[in-house]
Amino acid sequence: MVRLDRQVLLGVAGVLLSAGGAQADEALFGYLKGAETLPKGASELVQHLTRRWDKGEGEYTAYDSKTEFEHGFTDRFSGAIYVLGQSVDSKGLQIDGYIPADINSGMKYSGMEVSAKYNFLSPAKDDFGLAVYVSGAYTQLDPHSGQKKDKYTVETWLLAQKNFLDDQLVWVGNVGLESTYAVRLPIEGMTMTQEQWPTTPEMEIAVLAGTGLSYRVAPNWFVGAEALYDTEFETEVGQERWSIQAGPNVHYGAKDWWFTATWLPQLAGGGFETYPGQTDTNLQLIEKTKQEFRLKVGFNF
Amino acid sequence: MSNFDRWMMVPALIIPAAASAPAFAVQYMTVEQAQKVMFPAADAFEAKIVSLTDEQKNAIETASGVRVRSNEIRAWRASQGGKAAGWFMLDEVYGKHEFITYAVAIGTDGAVKDVEILEYRETHGSEVTNAKWRAQFVGKKAGDTLKLDEDIRNISGATLSCKHLTDGVKRLLATYAAVLK
Repeated sequence: MVRLDRQVLLGVAGVLLSAGGAQADEALFGYLKGAETLPKGASELVQHLTRRWDKGEGEYTAYDSKTEFEHGFTDRFSGAIYVLGQSVDSKGLQIDGYIPADINSGMKYSGMEVSAKYNFLSPAKDDFGLAVYVSGAYTQLDPHSGQKKDKYTVETWLLAQKNFLDDQLVWVGNVGLESTYAVRLPIEGMTMTQEQWPTTPEMEIAVLAGTGLSYRVAPNWFVGAEALYDTEFETEVGQERWSIQAGPNVHYGAKDWWFTATWLPQLAGGGFETYPGQTDTNLQLIEKTKQEFRLKVGFNF
Repeated sequence: MSNFDRWMMVPALIIPAAASAPAFAVQYMTVEQAQKVMFPAADAFEAKIVSLTDEQKNAIETASGVRVRSNEIRAWRASQGGKAAGWFMLDEVYGKHEFITYAVAIGTDGAVKDVEILEYRETHGSEVTNAKWRAQFVGKKAGDTLKLDEDIRNISGATLSCKHLTDGVKRLLATYAAVLK
């Protein structure tokens, strides 16, 4: 396993080294999006890897993988398709309805996603950049417990962007609405009560808002910060939970590839409940973690 | 190796890869070659390095609406047989990530004679080196609109390079009017 990982990582490093020095499309933020779209005929392959870890109790580490292919159909309209994967390693932490059992799932295929983005105003040419982004996803694994769960998600985002200082300083503001329909599937080989693992369908609406700044500190290098507010609503309890995550990011844009890395720890959070034994009661740790880190590597062609 | 160590190897490998990535640059011509192309009949180029005062800088920014990034102006007075032929101005603007080195030739009438790209360091957007696109600047004077999608056509996929070069030419024309004329 270790040998395989080393080979894969060395292979990735080799590809990156040989790709050296080219121009990239801007993905200055790890979690937020800018208002620009790919030019007509341009394509981009992006690998996202998110690490989520530390729920305060037990040992919890999850990885989300997202492999994205995006294409510019016109100068204002682009579409993308994604293959999703995840792994959850959780020990010594059980939360009824969310994390019913210890698991070490390993990286598994979890679903597919499609998205479309339309740019109304260009941040480079107009005074203000504005775009809409819609996505739809189907996943078959629960990102929190790693157990089987059929989930359909539709997201709609409004993306604003303003460039300052000859495009050296970039501000983005995102507002999104996420609607989810999900059904947890029975866990093979385990008998669970509906309290521990409810298998009736559930629907949720989440409102998300984010803002970020990124500054070009040297040719090819941007450094910035981003913040994300996430709140979920459900029929029975109203506002079920909320969280604020914020942290620094760094972006490198070379000739035909780029990378963006963001550390996004949870700063505050809450909701109508905490899990039994949760000590950090000022954080939302039922679904989220204390720490998140995302790395995105993109290749333009 | 723990999960964390394995995970840390990803940025640990990428960052050195990024740092060691060879710079991509195409040098189309040297300063001397650009001077010959832009003022073919000139027989002398007298260098004039100007350090802008705060007053001059403000005047240029007000006239052009473009921020002055460097106080140092690199200009050469071109002449033929001792008679002034115009000014050759060398400048840099950002493309998307890297600087574009370009020159503007201004005739004795204060109008742009030619714009040449000396060095372009990015792959996408190099369409700004296209002669037809650069020809749009010929005849432009200080005070002209010089705005993308108005009197200067944009090239899709090279918007930032087009915008920054257009702003750059506008700033150099205002600089010429303020300190070289």
